[in-house]
Amino acid sequence: MGMQRSYKCERVIERLHKKVNRQVVASLEACVHCGMCTDQCHYVLANPGDVTYMPSYKADKLRKFFKAHIDWTGRTFPWWVSARSLYTDQELEELKDTVFGKCTNCRRCSINCPMGVDMATFNRMARGLLVSVGVMPEGVAVVAKDQWEIGNQMGVLREDYIDTLTWMEEELQAEHNDPAIKIPIDKMDCDVVYSINPREVKYDPRTIADAALIFHVAGENWTMASEGWDMTNFGLFNGDDDLGGAVARRCYEATENLRGKKLVISECGHGYRSTRCEGQNWGQKDIPFAMESSVITMLRYIKEGRIKVDKTTNTEPVTYHDSCNNARSCGMTEEPRELLNLVCTDFREMHPNRAENFCCTGGGGAMSMSEYTPRRLKSAAVKAAQLKATGAKCVVTSCHNCVDGLTDLIRHYELGMKVTQLVNLVANALIIPERRHAAAVGGLEGYKILLADDEPDTLAYFETVLADHGAQVILATDGDEALDLARKEKPDLITLDLSMPGRDGGEVFEILRKDPVLSQTKVCIITGKPELRRLIYDRPVPPPEGYLTKPVSEDDLMLNVRKVLEHTHHES
Amino acid sequence: MALQVAPTGMLCEPIEKKVGNAVVRLQHGDLTALPVDAFVFYAREDLQIGSGYGTAIQTRGGASVKKELDTIGRIKMGGAVITGAGEMKARHIVHACGPKFQEPDIEKKLRQCVQSALAVADKAGIKTLAFPPMGTGFYGVPLDLCANTMLDCIKSFLQTVECLEEVIICVIDYRDYVPFRKKMESM
Repeated sequence: MGMQRSYKCERVIERLHKKVNRQVVASLEACVHCGMCTDQCHYVLANPGDVTYMPSYKADKLRKFFKAHIDWTGRTFPWWVSARSLYTDQELEELKDTVFGKCTNCRRCSINCPMGVDMATFNRMARGLLVSVGVMPEGVAVVAKDQWEIGNQMGVLREDYIDTLTWMEEELQAEHNDPAIKIPIDKMDCDVVYSINPREVKYDPRTIADAALIFHVAGENWTMASEGWDMTNFGLFNGDDDLGGAVARRCYEATENLRGKKLVISECGHGYRSTRCEGQNWGQKDIPFAMESSVITMLRYIKEGRIKVDKTTNTEPVTYHDSCNNARSCGMTEEPRELLNLVCTDFREMHPNRAENFCCTGGGGAMSMSEYTPRRLKSAAVKAAQLKATGAKCVVTSCHNCVDGLTDLIRHYELGMKVTQLVNLVANALIIPERRHAAAVGGLEGYKILLADDEPDTLAYFETVLADHGAQVILATDGDEALDLARKEKPDLITLDLSMPGRDGGEVFEILRKDPVLSQTKVCIITGKPELRRLIYDRPVPPPEGYLTKPVSEDDLMLNVRKVLEHTHHES
Repeated sequence: MALQVAPTGMLCEPIEKKVGNAVVRLQHGDLTALPVDAFVFYAREDLQIGSGYGTAIQTRGGASVKKELDTIGRIKMGGAVITGAGEMKARHIVHACGPKFQEPDIEKKLRQCVQSALAVADKAGIKTLAFPPMGTGFYGVPLDLCANTMLDCIKSFLQTVECLEEVIICVIDYRDYVPFRKKMESM
């Protein structure tokens, strides 16, 4: 008598028949177990004694049930070809651990496979099968649901998006003393509709301002959309083609309805691949406009003489990290290098590079799966060695996922490098008349700011910057002291580190928000551990007014502090 | 009520149908920002709000919704409960628990869930109630099945209604809009 199969396994197998296409069949059939893929995988290199990380082993976990249900050899001689079906929910959990937790879909094994086995494609299919029965890491569920229902994968609400764009516009106008600098929203008939990653709104709005400045100086007729502005697509990561199609269509429909001539996609590897290359297929939609990476847009502006740059403004040694999706899946390898050489004086190549580059280890949605963080950081050893060997002080990448992945591993391996994007370097090198520094002295007079951080150097740095701008600064070195001083001093703003002795920043934050006297106090999280974001955003209290990831530049600190103190106050 | 017209909603022309003394309206917009008496949240049995519309509820509404839900604890599949909506434009939220991820008897459970949401709202004196396409998207309820089941339930309920005057189906994009428009046109 055959084994009883669980309800979820039945549904997975039923859907398998619908999801298997020629590309997947070819890849599942073609493997000859030659082992060429083994040393291409960063997980294997970090775990040499563990076969469960080998791409061919991981592929076999899927191949077994493909053989059992699709391939004639498996249905006829299952014992011969190791065919085995799925029976229990426990097996689905084990499969989840492999397809989500042991592969970032980086495709490095694929380009080194003599048989052309596309591991990422069927790994993604397997993720989609599991997601369809609700089996997925919690973080994946959170992000996917946000993107389905809010319209972007970080749950940025419409008012916060518009507020951030308005804030950035005001900052740019003040910084450059030029009211003509605009961030247009829903402007019809533009030559460029600019789409972004919600991470830019939530954690890195400076990239939006930098892009806006470049568009302004180039004299571009451009706009951003009030909806359908998120060009990222979690459907690529969780294997849900319906999500992939819905998200891509929102982006296309926004551009189409604004009658935009070109959709420019900001620096994001998976966003570029999803929107530029995959979305039309998932969404079953032809599009009547052109699409372009902002890297190519910026390069074009320089070549066409629409913007001028001075590379001597970027003299720090930099290296470039190729995002897997940009380089391996979309072939965008030379444009960023050409651009880097135009805006930096000391660009150093990382080895291996381009399509052979190693993953940042944060790809494939890995940054959202906190349960696999130790595994991810261990596998980052190879990337850390690559980075260190360049001797660069700064790593540039054209991907927001990579920014987070690299920032995390740089901290873990204590490499002391900073991470930035091309848009930041181009904006810094832009030749514009009468530039004025963002962090002009003054502006915080009359404000009382409590800084809570257990690192004395960080406290001293923030204190100096904020006091120089006129703020009254109070210092706390742990969570309890922060609470005591907050109650006693009633500051206008509290900057809060997440990882502190005693009560951590998350606990302190929740207590502050629930305190009847302090609940309205502005809070800006400043953390060196972006993976702990959920400690804050999962709490049943209103989110903080500001968020910064260390290291924090003076400009970023001042921009965010001003935003929290002045703009939100003004808006309310 | 002013409609929110934005790029992704330009294709979604609002449609209204009179059912008994009430109106059913299909429109594009931001469910959790609607100035209605109540909107429906597709809830889990453990009443944990989670992300998606839950993110909006927690951010716009504040902590009071979760607090209220904590005191209620759990609901059964197909059931619904009502809470306040904190600082949101709506006054109440109806939390209705429906089927998820291809579980058995999707249509039956969805019907129960929609009926419960309507009954709870009507009993609470709600006059305008907004629904999302229940369970589609993240939870994978097929759109056609959802549109047909929801609108059949709503139509049937509005024949015997006591308070409800307007039921809104609020879609986020054109993909969601199409099957509801098709069903509305055949009503």
